[in-house]
Amino acid sequence: MLMREGLRLVLEQAGFTIAGVAEDAAELVHRARELQPDLVLADIRMPPDHTDDGLRAVLRLRAERPELPVIVLSQHMQRRYASELLESGERSVGYLLKQRIADLDTFVGDMHRVVDGGTVLDPVVVAAMIDRPRPGDPLAGLTGRQREVLALMAEGRSNAAIAERLHLAEKSVVRHASHVYAQLGIEESRQGHRRVLAVVQYLSR
Amino acid sequence: MAAAPDTMRSAAPSERTAGRGRLGSLADALVVVGLGALLVAGTEIAIVLHQGGQYAWLTALFPVVALVYVGAGLLAWRRRPSSRLGLLIVLAGGAILVSSLADLDTPATGAAGAIAQTVVFAVIVQLLLAFPTGRLYERAERRVVAAVYAVSLLLQPPAYLFAPDGALSIADRPDLVDAGLEVQRAVGAVVVLATSALLVRRMRRARDEQRRVLVPLFAYGIFTVLFIPVSSALNDTVFGGSTYWLGVSQLAVVALVPVVFVVAASRGGFERTGDIAELGAWLGADEVARPGLREALAATLGDPSVQLLFRVPGEDALVDEHGRPAVVPTHAGRGVVEVGLGGRAVGAIAYDATLLDRPEEIREAGRVVALALDRQRLTVELRASRARIAAAADDERRRIARDLHDGLQARLVFLAVQARTTADPSAVQAGIQAAIDELRALVEGVMPAPLTERGLPAALEDLRDRLPTPIALRITGLDHRMRPDIETAAYFVVSEAVVNAVKHAGPATVAVSLERTDDRLRLEVADDGSGGVRAGGGMRGMADRVHALGGELAVHSTAGGTRVRAVIPCGS
Repeated sequence: MLMREGLRLVLEQAGFTIAGVAEDAAELVHRARELQPDLVLADIRMPPDHTDDGLRAVLRLRAERPELPVIVLSQHMQRRYASELLESGERSVGYLLKQRIADLDTFVGDMHRVVDGGTVLDPVVVAAMIDRPRPGDPLAGLTGRQREVLALMAEGRSNAAIAERLHLAEKSVVRHASHVYAQLGIEESRQGHRRVLAVVQYLSR
Repeated sequence: MAAAPDTMRSAAPSERTAGRGRLGSLADALVVVGLGALLVAGTEIAIVLHQGGQYAWLTALFPVVALVYVGAGLLAWRRRPSSRLGLLIVLAGGAILVSSLADLDTPATGAAGAIAQTVVFAVIVQLLLAFPTGRLYERAERRVVAAVYAVSLLLQPPAYLFAPDGALSIADRPDLVDAGLEVQRAVGAVVVLATSALLVRRMRRARDEQRRVLVPLFAYGIFTVLFIPVSSALNDTVFGGSTYWLGVSQLAVVALVPVVFVVAASRGGFERTGDIAELGAWLGADEVARPGLREALAATLGDPSVQLLFRVPGEDALVDEHGRPAVVPTHAGRGVVEVGLGGRAVGAIAYDATLLDRPEEIREAGRVVALALDRQRLTVELRASRARIAAAADDERRRIARDLHDGLQARLVFLAVQARTTADPSAVQAGIQAAIDELRALVEGVMPAPLTERGLPAALEDLRDRLPTPIALRITGLDHRMRPDIETAAYFVVSEAVVNAVKHAGPATVAVSLERTDDRLRLEVADDGSGGVRAGGGMRGMADRVHALGGELAVHSTAGGTRVRAVIPCGS
């Protein structure tokens, strides 16, 4: 409630128009169908069950309209939620920790990326996937730089964005990326947005 | 009366626990009997002393001896309600009281006294043959007892019917009195010999540990039953016809009889069936009214220091009735006998080995009460685990309060100060971010969000993601959610076991497997670390949780690794 009103205030200031607000998961589905918004922003935990109602509502909406841009906010990091969201369609999906709202500029930027068809995964989620210990870890063969590139790929950044973030030439990013693909055994032909799912699926194994 | 303090000590607790039940009312009845005897004896003594005479004080001693019988009998009765021994000793005291009536100068009392004159002798014979249960089991014994009562009651009449005076005298015929006395003595001699023969036979048949008790008792008994008639018969030659010395010596011999019986009875174990019958009676008694198991065992074994010890899961040592580990100092003369039920150790009985060093007997008593002991063990276990669960909840609250107070609150206070003083909002924002992280970690520790949101598999995957050691997770049959209490218990068992392993045992891998069948959730956490995990500590709390759900938890730890297994019933 507090969260919802705070968010409405902040987003209106940032230039968004709030088409509608839902009290619970059922209402969220209903209103999203009715209002056809440009973006659905949902908390994973919602009434009535306070379990993962929000996520299930969003997945239902995505099943009806796979290109509907959605961002799901979570109190905590859960790898499985990210995978499920990406499996509902790789474009226009975001999974962020609630606390990201505090950094409003980044948050608004992420919202725009999702509306524009991009993918946004919380860095904490990605870090947890990459740092997760596995028997016979294939990531052990990656250099530090390659790991950074892998993490940003998983977060949904484009090669251009990665180059800018890491102060590299885009060519070097492409080179690092192909090395990562080779190391992980992922088909390089998967380009663009599809690579996030490939990477995340790989990391979730 | 060496046995008396002992007897009273062991009787005292049973009175407290018995309350107003069966034993309470028995105790009341015994008090009434005792007071009645005291009243009669007091009256007799007062009248005898008032009447005066050369041997008035000696005559007054008979009621005193009667009181010794009644007192000793009441103690024995109270101590072993299912034995008739106490009753018989009290009856013997009563017989002496009645026979003492003869010394009062009234026709009625004289008559009663004259009839009951030698009954005490018969009761003593019955006491000896009926030791220790108070019952006669063999036909020979019953015949001898019948004969001795015949001698004392049916062969007595000539002595008072043909006496020179007295209320019952019908003729003064000293010749008939003498003839009657001859017959009584002759038949009496046969009965005494038969009694002695039976007692000697029993001593010879007895086991060694019984003989220890039986020999002194029966030896004294045979001496008594021989001494009374023989001393009477030989009065003229031995005591020079002095009724004074005859009276004193017979009184002394008779007075010692109840003392000897109570000493023998207090040494316990003289007749195994007697003891077991006592415990059997206890088992059958009303549970609310009967004294505790420990008190019953203490009374039966004649050892007030008897202790009950219990074997509870997750505890290496035996525990006492409060669930605390019990230390039994065997060097200080304590013996311990294990009690098993259906091949599984349920507890032990600790006893004073200097007082009664007969482990076989205690083992047998243990077999009789094994079920009751096991039940008490369950109560002890339940009480202890409840206490631990409550304590664990309190600890958890304290920890949360401390984390909130020392961590989050301190951080927020600092942020409030910083927000006033600093010109840099990003520092404040970073502080708020840290506070949020801390709050999330705290909530996560109390109840992991994925467990609430998605159930066990998601929560365990999440747990795996957060640990530095590779965890192999194998989950089958968990497509549907289970009851929250089962999910929570299973989650915390796995997380406790996994975190323990990662923290202390330094394993290369940890394998976690969960399998749900129709009505059971089996879980196992196995690592290849250095082992040394004990069932206590955090694992104990987990075991309590599992037990509370009707499940079982086992920890098996060796140098090659640790394996924690739990089964939780989850029939839907």
